[in-house]
Amino acid sequence: MTSRVITIIGFACVIIALFVLDLVGRRPGNRVPTLGEWLGYLMRARAGRAAILLGWLWIGWHYFAR
Amino acid sequence: MAADDVSRSPGHLGRGLGGPRPLPRGRRLIRKLAVGAGLGAYSWLAAGTAPFSMVALFAVLVPGAVLAAISIWWPPVRIPPPDRLDIAGFSYWAICVAALFEWEASAFKDNSRPWHPALTELVNPLIAPHPLKSAAFLLWLLAGWALVRR
Repeated sequence: MTSRVITIIGFACVIIALFVLDLVGRRPGNRVPTLGEWLGYLMRARAGRAAILLGWLWIGWHYFAR
Repeated sequence: MAADDVSRSPGHLGRGLGGPRPLPRGRRLIRKLAVGAGLGAYSWLAAGTAPFSMVALFAVLVPGAVLAAISIWWPPVRIPPPDRLDIAGFSYWAICVAALFEWEASAFKDNSRPWHPALTELVNPLIAPHPLKSAAFLLWLLAGWALVRR
């Protein structure tokens, strides 16, 4: 197994874990928040809202304008 | 969308109480289809722009400006955030996000050689075909709208 494959497996594991966490958070009575819930919580403050939206804009610029 | 299932508290952020009356079901559907078609067409055009061009830059900046304007001047009915987060539950997210950043940072540290590519270098070939790039752009637009509603 090459280092490149290990790197790709590492990314895949983390991204799958993020999806699993969101699914777990959607089960009723669970303590794990969904992605939307914790992002919403961070966006309660104006600074958090600006930071999250700028992050979204950066992702768009990074993947679609470059 | 799943966000539609969340109950809304009266008088919450945005146009919750005292706003315009909701459209009839048929007109709402037509409006959704029209908006969806418009976003799809925009995504298709934006995905066809040449990388590093001013057109590509504006294709990204325009939705950002539109969403910023909507967020500031015409805020939609927002999905109420939770009053508090369970620290233990949130820590799982923090660990995963930190792991993603660490894995990405190590690719940068290694100058993103072929044996440790950055996430960008893995994603870019995947979204190289025009239809897939359009779909990814549309997903990005919808994510922006979902964020504005939070």
